[in-house]
Amino acid sequence: MTRNFHDSARELIAQGDILSDAQQAWLRSHREECEACSDYAEAAERAVRALRSQPLAAGSALVQATQMRVRQRALELQRQHERLWVISVCCFAVTLSTALTTAALWRGFAWMGQQARLPGPVWQVGLVALGLMPAIVAAILMLARGTYLADTIGSLQE
Amino acid sequence: MNAAAHYFTNLMESETSAIARGLRRRDPDLLDHLIEQYQHRLLRYLIYLSGNRELAEDIFQETWIRVLERGHQYDGKHEFSTWLYAVARNLTLDYLRKKRPLSLDGLMQDEAHASLEPADPRPAAWEVVQQHQQAEQITAALLSIPVEYRETVVLRFQEGLSLEEIATVTGAPLGTVKSRLYRGLDLLLSRLKGTGAQA
Repeated sequence: MTRNFHDSARELIAQGDILSDAQQAWLRSHREECEACSDYAEAAERAVRALRSQPLAAGSALVQATQMRVRQRALELQRQHERLWVISVCCFAVTLSTALTTAALWRGFAWMGQQARLPGPVWQVGLVALGLMPAIVAAILMLARGTYLADTIGSLQE
Repeated sequence: MNAAAHYFTNLMESETSAIARGLRRRDPDLLDHLIEQYQHRLLRYLIYLSGNRELAEDIFQETWIRVLERGHQYDGKHEFSTWLYAVARNLTLDYLRKKRPLSLDGLMQDEAHASLEPADPRPAAWEVVQQHQQAEQITAALLSIPVEYRETVVLRFQEGLSLEEIATVTGAPLGTVKSRLYRGLDLLLSRLKGTGAQA
């Protein structure tokens, strides 16, 4: 009996109850012949039984706290999702209205430019500025809000 | 026999598919149910992986938050527990990497001194005391073996995962899982022998 046989037997013992019929038969016959491997298998069975009977368990307080946290987070995610949906609808509406009104605005600005005898690039820049105005105003408002929040949080921390 | 096996396979698939659908919807009732169903198994795994009950409880909560947030990534084709353990494992390793950037194996040095109180120790009859002692011995022996071996031993023998499932959870090849199991059990037995628990 070489050392490799013992190693193989112990590797099979370590795999537990998932051996094929042939592996089980070989291991059984090896254990009958080898006292050391038989003792090893018994010790392994005892250790596994002891491991499975470990009384480590989660407390009900932990479970309840986890369930509460998960529900709160689910609610937050739902609100975020709803906000995102509203923003998406707004973006779509803005894009659609831009597409529909750009042609009319272009003609209107061209007419006003002619009436005021302005060169083409001047009224065209005016049109672009008008188009960008909502985005510029929104950016300024968001920056102001961010600065306000940073100041408020900073003063609260102090 | 084949019909029975087919029935149970279908049953398992329909159950995992239902879980996957519920997770995609972020169904809070389903999550409540899953938390209750896997509470002990997940916490035990985390305790043995991290070697610290408090940390394990924190990661337990974070794991379920992650399950809620990334639930859509669960495909429903595999056991839910395998995916859950993988999520918990990644969170634990992330935490340990932040805490101990040098080496995960270095975790063991402090763990030998960590104490893990059983959840509900009721010291009354001497049998209970004996069980308590045995539990402490096996916990101490487990905590004294390297984390990758310990994790494999716990997943196989305590949580009852197959070798393939352990390979999925740990991201290690099947051969590595087998050798970790062998080495882990061998180390566990030698440590238990040292404490006289196996005598």
